[in-house]
Amino acid sequence: MPDKTITLSVTRFDPDLDPEPRQQSYEIPFKDDMVVLDGLNWIKTHLDGSVNYRWSCRMGICGSCGMNVNGTPKLGCSAFLRDYLPGPVVVEPLPNFPVVRDLVIDMSSFMEKLSAVKPWIIREQGAIGTGEFLQTPAQTEQYRQFSMCINCMLCYSACPVIAIEPEFIGPAAIALARRYELDSRDQAGDERLRTITASDGIWDCSFVGECSAVCPKGVDPARAIQQTKFDSTLGVLLPWGGK
Amino acid sequence: MLGRRETGLGEDAASGASTGGREAAPAHPNRLPTDWWRRNPRYVLYMLREFTAVPIAIWMVWFLVEIGRARGGSAGYRPHQSLAFVIFSVVCLVFAVWHSFTFLRLSGLIVRIPLGERTVPASAIVAGSFGLLIVATVVVGGLLILGGR
Ligand code: SF4
Ligand code: FES
Repeated sequence: MPDKTITLSVTRFDPDLDPEPRQQSYEIPFKDDMVVLDGLNWIKTHLDGSVNYRWSCRMGICGSCGMNVNGTPKLGCSAFLRDYLPGPVVVEPLPNFPVVRDLVIDMSSFMEKLSAVKPWIIREQGAIGTGEFLQTPAQTEQYRQFSMCINCMLCYSACPVIAIEPEFIGPAAIALARRYELDSRDQAGDERLRTITASDGIWDCSFVGECSAVCPKGVDPARAIQQTKFDSTLGVLLPWGGK
Repeated sequence: MLGRRETGLGEDAASGASTGGREAAPAHPNRLPTDWWRRNPRYVLYMLREFTAVPIAIWMVWFLVEIGRARGGSAGYRPHQSLAFVIFSVVCLVFAVWHSFTFLRLSGLIVRIPLGERTVPASAIVAGSFGLLIVATVVVGGLLILGGR
């Protein structure tokens, strides 16, 4: 072991054996460039091969490694251990999702919500694939930030409304709906909007804003939700439908 | 740096939590705890801001009652002047200004006015919102003061 070490307290849960999740502490060597995911990988390789967690790209792209680090939703591959010195660093599964095992959550509720908002370009005339549908840089800029979502689920974990109303469609799915709403090539009309303005949609949001604060990709789901609230209100109040 | 092949997934999780024909064990529901709002300063500020709506609502109800009392005209009307009430009103005013400021500050993000392929700049929307607030304050305040004479 090098001179400097740090302790990771990792949630362990085996549904066949444990009635409740518990914390297990591991002391690991510390290097300045280590992220939480490096720490978990070190534990898995050298101390305890039974620890379960998800990861893939190790560069904030795939969205697999979401976990709570000292109580805040983070990407394990982007959270540097040096920011949590002297430790211990408490690593837990993302809240608001059922825990399958250790740090592995079940995201199927999100997958249903995501497909409900139809996150693809819907065309009435000229289906995608039948030709080129040009877009100017200014038109791309309208939705670009909402298209950066990597489905990491940090925003769902930070959202107290999801904790109270698990059926709430939630930040990322609405941000993605907004991404397609603002795309000049999309012709979905009210189709997508009907889903996100129905019960369990945008009106469940009380604008806590934490979804946007924790997003590692600079997406602003709170903005997407409030913009949609404003547009759909205008749609009801104004004869031209807030367009 | 650690090697790429050090996958963190155990066999079960990597293979979609295969249970070898057994019924899957129940996952643990892992909701945010009820004291979630104490977890970071942003949550605390959110709760404080939400709470300030309660005294503002009480003050508004009181205001409606006073309008009812003033039905007979300004001659027979005596407003409340107790120190406690004045303090309560000032506190409510501070809360209301805080609400207005924090909400209108974000109006540039929330209100999206298309302008050809672009949108009206957020700074213009924020400036317009604060401008409208000032105009509305002057007009309503003026009506109340002049109407009360
Ligand atoms: S909006 Fe941000 S925090 Fe939410 S899933 Fe997408 S990338 Fe993650
Ligand atoms: S491992 Fe891909 S985002 Fe962290």
